[in-house]
Amino acid sequence: MKRFCTILLSLVVAILPQFNTDIFSQESTVYATVHSRKAFVVGGNNAPTGLFYQKRSDDTVWKHTGPSNIHAFAIAAAPESKGQLLFMGAGNGVHRTMDGGNSWKITTGWEITEVLCLAIDPSDRKRVLCTSPYGIYQTKDGGDQWKDCSRGLTTKFVSAVIIDHSNPKLLYCSTEDGIFSSDDNAETWERTALTVKGIRCIAQHPTNPGMIAAGTEDDGIYLSQDNGENWRKCEDGIENATFYTVIFDVKDPLIMYAGGFETGVYKSKDGGKTWQRSQQGLASLTIRSIAVDPANTNRIYAGTFGQGVYRSEDGGYTWKYAGLAGSLVWSINIEPFEP
Amino acid sequence: MKIIATFLISIVLLWRVPVYSQRIESDQYLKAFEKRAQRIIALSDSLTPSIYGWAARLYGVGGNYRQADSIIKELLKTPGGDMFWMFGIVSASLHGKGKMSPETEQAVRRAWKTYPPYRGDTENHWCLYYSTLLLASQEWPGLPGSEWFNGKSSEENYNEAREYLIHWMKITTTIGQGEFDSPDYFPVFISPMILLAQFARESEMRTRGSMMADYLFADFAVDHLDGQYTGGSSRVAHTPPYEPLAANAAPLAYLYFGEGEPRVSDFTLVAALSSYRLPEIIFRIATDRSMPYVQKEKKRVRNVIRYGSEMNPPVYRYTYMTSDYALGSLQGGILQPIQQHTWGVNFKSGRPFTTIFGLHPNWSGRELGMFFPEEVKCLIANVVQSKSTYNNPDKWIGGSPFERTFQHKNSLIVLYDIPQGTTTDHIDGFFPNTLEKRLVDSSRWILCKAGDAYIGWYPLQEYEWKTENDCFRLRSHKLQNGYVIEVRSKSEIGSFKNFSDSLNKHIPQAVLQPGNISVRYVNLDGNSMEFTYPENRELDGKYVDLSQYKLFEGPYLNADVGSEKLTITYKNETRILDFKSLTITDR
Repeated sequence: MKRFCTILLSLVVAILPQFNTDIFSQESTVYATVHSRKAFVVGGNNAPTGLFYQKRSDDTVWKHTGPSNIHAFAIAAAPESKGQLLFMGAGNGVHRTMDGGNSWKITTGWEITEVLCLAIDPSDRKRVLCTSPYGIYQTKDGGDQWKDCSRGLTTKFVSAVIIDHSNPKLLYCSTEDGIFSSDDNAETWERTALTVKGIRCIAQHPTNPGMIAAGTEDDGIYLSQDNGENWRKCEDGIENATFYTVIFDVKDPLIMYAGGFETGVYKSKDGGKTWQRSQQGLASLTIRSIAVDPANTNRIYAGTFGQGVYRSEDGGYTWKYAGLAGSLVWSINIEPFEP
Repeated sequence: MKIIATFLISIVLLWRVPVYSQRIESDQYLKAFEKRAQRIIALSDSLTPSIYGWAARLYGVGGNYRQADSIIKELLKTPGGDMFWMFGIVSASLHGKGKMSPETEQAVRRAWKTYPPYRGDTENHWCLYYSTLLLASQEWPGLPGSEWFNGKSSEENYNEAREYLIHWMKITTTIGQGEFDSPDYFPVFISPMILLAQFARESEMRTRGSMMADYLFADFAVDHLDGQYTGGSSRVAHTPPYEPLAANAAPLAYLYFGEGEPRVSDFTLVAALSSYRLPEIIFRIATDRSMPYVQKEKKRVRNVIRYGSEMNPPVYRYTYMTSDYALGSLQGGILQPIQQHTWGVNFKSGRPFTTIFGLHPNWSGRELGMFFPEEVKCLIANVVQSKSTYNNPDKWIGGSPFERTFQHKNSLIVLYDIPQGTTTDHIDGFFPNTLEKRLVDSSRWILCKAGDAYIGWYPLQEYEWKTENDCFRLRSHKLQNGYVIEVRSKSEIGSFKNFSDSLNKHIPQAVLQPGNISVRYVNLDGNSMEFTYPENRELDGKYVDLSQYKLFEGPYLNADVGSEKLTITYKNETRILDFKSLTITDR
């Protein structure tokens, strides 16, 4: 009996590491905005698009919530609201739910359209910024009133905005005319040293707030270590020019991922110094969005142009189809709560 | 003295007193309209289409209400169509007010709560969306956001819609319409305006709807020839540009101008049911072709969001109209994505395909990126999913950044300077196979006859003919290229032989080198036209300054940029649409 127990215990000890450790951690919710599906026509009989979500443990099954066929771009979940307070950026403006998706309201008027990116202040969920081809807007009352905050920008086309997690007064936005920063709550903007045209995305290091990454339309990826005062182009291992998404691994910020036009997924393990490209299993190499699961950072999601979502369980080296067939997945967001 | 003073005051009053929204149309004119409206309605009855417009017809004019109820309930099982759905359901609801069954009313109400239409991404989408949202929200006042698809209350929806519509009317009457002169989208602007004119409860919005319908119809009227919306256009969408009589504007030309053929759609049915009446002065302008005229217009480019410093650069539109043909052009360049029609000559031939035109069938992600916010390098693939001809080198629609025009009356020069490596390395010309004559003269002029219109096309470079189903395609592969167009009618020049003999003596002189392209041409009227690509146009030695264009300039329509005021003139009648004071003044 003792021998039997020893064998059993040994087996358990041997098998345990084989299990994904996240089975013991909290469940997460994965959000994906589907901009369009194949043959989308305004006014046509289109397949549902908009906001989809799934449990992290789900395979390819997604549930739809909110309005459909609205050219959805961005999704942002208020911290610690457990999915109750969500903002979605779309052609119709900024949609908001305060009850986990049961009801939605378009919080913006006719002036705000084609909302490409959203950022919620981590210290004040009533403060939200959104970007569009017509400028950058801010609400301080949770979406009831929005104000144009584009002063100082030399172009209105703002692809993305981030709020500095260490100092919410400080913001960065990516535009058609370079990267801009604001140190006065988005009241005014000044151009940073990066003047490359057509910046498509921007990301901030999760623990080193001075480190900013940017993906460009034609000029690859740039990194700044000093709040945008100096920028270095990432060269080693980068074979493509067009990047729509660059992100940091929240747990290990030396790890970065990037994707764009016909890129597959790029990974850096040394803070952007060198990059490796992976495409194994991807049906589309054009990547619009990438997200790392904070509960298991080997699990990566990639939103493709026209082929739905792909998931990697090995830190981005190989990929498997994960649903939303035929979709242009503009953004993916993973939140640490159950739907 | 007192008598003289009274007399003078009376004269002044008679001359100046505005007539607010009064419509004094002749009985004969109104009866003819009613007859055509009845014909469209009768045609719909024979087709019994399952569309909201037919339900509106059944409610609107002595129809079977229960049949209308069942059409609506069936359609509402799967609502779809975004702003087009909104137009259909609003039209049917407003005509069905007091006639719908309570059950149908509930289904309609439920749909406004549960079906979220997309606002769209074009001017016509927004015009439909907000006009119909205004009308729907006025029908259900006082409802909270939970009762509407967008979570906004009735009042919030009404105010937002009103604000946008007033904004749209203001920019249209100050810097010009963005989705301008579209043979296909014209009804999409007109129809919501006539709904507002009839059904808006707020008198200001009723007046605005009616005045804007007049404004848009006047714009169409000066470009109208025999049921066709002629000249350069922002968008030719649903039918090929070589079938002008199949465009969506054509059945409205039938209904309002009495030319062309009736056709049934949501738009034509709602127009036929409407209480809106086109002012007779506009009807006269649309149908009197006794005198040729030049019409100049300034419109605006759709919102440029990338690759440009100006959001709405100007569009310069020029049309020469006669009783037998119209030659019209835009200045060239990219003025609209995907479906721009830069120039064309339209004619009355009594046969299909009543037009000749040319283009550089260009496409590029950059062109799309100017107007659409999605990723530039993915845009072509995105667009061709629904507009499959966009990247087809044989397409018949679309503008090119490498194309420019210079028009003077019935003479037109078109030049191209196409860089190496551009997506298409050729230019094309459309010559319908229904032309009565298409000859190539020893002088190089291509001479065509269609009805009483004679069209000459002088190619500046070598070319080839391709025979296709509907046409003969002129194709030239030279990158530095161009042609000269001359159009005359029998009444202007006599016989076709006269036309041919005259053109023999008018040979354009061209320089066609990369970066150095120019043409000098003396037209049949003896005017010297010198055109150096891209923007230097000289007429009889004088620089032609397009920037001086007014919003409308011609014998019938005149409006200054920024004025919000359109003066409509026909013979000794004048009507002024003043959007600042919201008044209509007849003199």
